[in-house]
Amino acid sequence: MKLAAHYNKVNIIVTLSVLVIGAVIYFFAINAITDNRLDEELGEEVSEVITYIQQHKQLPKQFDIDENQVEFIKTNLLNSKPRYFDTTYVNPRKSGDKSGRAFEGGISFKGDNYRFRIIISSESTVYLKQIITAITLILMLVVLTILSLANRYLLNDLWKPFFGLLAHMKAFNVSESSTFKLTNNKVDEFNDLDNAIGVMSSRVKSDFQNLKHFTENASHEMLTPLAVITSKLDTLIQDETLKKEHFDQIQDIYAAAGKLSRLNQSLLLLVKIENNLIADNDTLNLQQLINDKLRQFQELLTSKEIQIYAELGDKKVIVSKYLVDILLNNLLSNAIRHNQVKGNINIYLTEDRLVIQNSGSAVPLDGEAIFDRFQKGSTSDGAGLGLTIVKNICNVCGWNMQYLFINNLHTFSIVF
Amino acid sequence: MHQFCNLKHVKILIVEDEQGLRENMLTYLSEDNNICESCADLATAIIKLAAYQYDFVLLDIGLPDGEGFEILHYLKNEMRNEAVIIISARNSLDDRIKGLNIGADDYLVKPFHLAELKARIVAVFRRKAANSNNNLVFNEIVINLIGRTVFINDVEILLTRKEYDMLLYFIANKGKVIAKTALAEHLWGDEMDMHDNFDFIYSHIKNLRKKILDVTTNDYLKSVYGIGYKFTDK
Repeated sequence: MKLAAHYNKVNIIVTLSVLVIGAVIYFFAINAITDNRLDEELGEEVSEVITYIQQHKQLPKQFDIDENQVEFIKTNLLNSKPRYFDTTYVNPRKSGDKSGRAFEGGISFKGDNYRFRIIISSESTVYLKQIITAITLILMLVVLTILSLANRYLLNDLWKPFFGLLAHMKAFNVSESSTFKLTNNKVDEFNDLDNAIGVMSSRVKSDFQNLKHFTENASHEMLTPLAVITSKLDTLIQDETLKKEHFDQIQDIYAAAGKLSRLNQSLLLLVKIENNLIADNDTLNLQQLINDKLRQFQELLTSKEIQIYAELGDKKVIVSKYLVDILLNNLLSNAIRHNQVKGNINIYLTEDRLVIQNSGSAVPLDGEAIFDRFQKGSTSDGAGLGLTIVKNICNVCGWNMQYLFINNLHTFSIVF
Repeated sequence: MHQFCNLKHVKILIVEDEQGLRENMLTYLSEDNNICESCADLATAIIKLAAYQYDFVLLDIGLPDGEGFEILHYLKNEMRNEAVIIISARNSLDDRIKGLNIGADDYLVKPFHLAELKARIVAVFRRKAANSNNNLVFNEIVINLIGRTVFINDVEILLTRKEYDMLLYFIANKGKVIAKTALAEHLWGDEMDMHDNFDFIYSHIKNLRKKILDVTTNDYLKSVYGIGYKFTDK
């Protein structure tokens, strides 16, 4: 549920219940006050009637004083309990029933018991109550309208910095060098949040930078010892007294040193790509580049007797030539290396995608894991960074990289 | 002019702070009557350069007392004509461009094979001497560097691009055992990851040797116990 919905829900429930409870209490209070006033009036009437009886020694005639009605009924009951109540009566001067307030009590006169009832009009108080109810209802509507307007303002305007911040955080990229911009708010809490996020993002970024620098420095520092190993080996093999077994050992050291240095280069390349340090964008003809690459790989292809089927459309891209070169190198050398003898490679280039398919192991690869660092097949003697580099290059170029296993072919497609 | 092509009697200054590497470079290059000197920091290098003339400076960028670029500036300001090859652990395009702009002749990234270093040195010398002599002579083998043609006993042999590169590489490192990995890196570069598959080298070597033996009886190319090859007239 959205913040606005939550806010409105709570707000409306609370406001409505307070207003309803208030209105009910109000209603009863006004009722009590008006009834009280009418009852006082009735009390005066009663004392007037009693005075009349005492003075004139006779029951008052059925007469109206100020539209009040008085009636006497002879009854056997002694001193019936006096009571006040609401009733309706017929006003002979006006048509229809009118609401009124009545007093009923007993009186003894000349040995007879009478029950008498005085009714006075409560029209004016009913009218008053109606007006008050109407005003209360209107007030409720007005309050609700004002509240919802205020909420809209609160959410749209007061919370604006929050949503801005949210958008900012969604767009947050740890490898981007741009710093977090503090927005100046009039709300202290948002300022706090802003500051906290600013501090957090800069810390995350600096940690990330440190990590990258560490990778970079570690890789660089390893290159000089590697150079020492290589040069020592180059010197060692000049020794004519060495035997075949020694040379076998040296060959293995060469291979290991070579692998280490390739690994280093891959790591450094990854850092460079992630740092966006390679930005020498050119307009490149992919069709031509792929054809050049195939020529370059011709020897490898021939040696494995791999059949190439290429369907290359005309496609131009604006990216770094260096990166595209590495991308094609990695994809093609993978397609060759993980292929079987007399296997085949299909390459399709269209306006919207580049697809490279190769035969090879009959088991599909894990489409998610293959792009992770140091993920490699059990038979691969690479470093396990080739596809990570490909994926990163695609990210930099804004392309999408996918792996599918179609018709027993490992299919890598890049969607431009 | 042959000394330029075959690197004889040249004076080389090696500026490298890593002792192991420095010593090996010194040993490898101190042949054919070449004079090699070495130092480990910027200050000593400047002193040596101020006192002596060299033909060549091998320059590490990351030195304990500063960046090797300073030496390039020094040489440029002093209008010296020492050839400079930068040896750096930093494989960044910026460094490369910076170095070449200040006057370096080549840029070699660590780790490298000594054979590669020597081939680069020879290539730089050849380039510098290109106006005076375009022929590289090794016994009966004469290579025209401009036309990229090879004559043995005045008979032209037709080499593929790889065979030609390989021959130049061998002659630059004549008498030395060259590891297969060094050869593979030189011919294919690290862009094409051969993954230590040396069958290709073998077939290129076989073809080159056959083409040479077709016109001469001297078998210069020798295989050394599966580790590599040696091009020698001894």
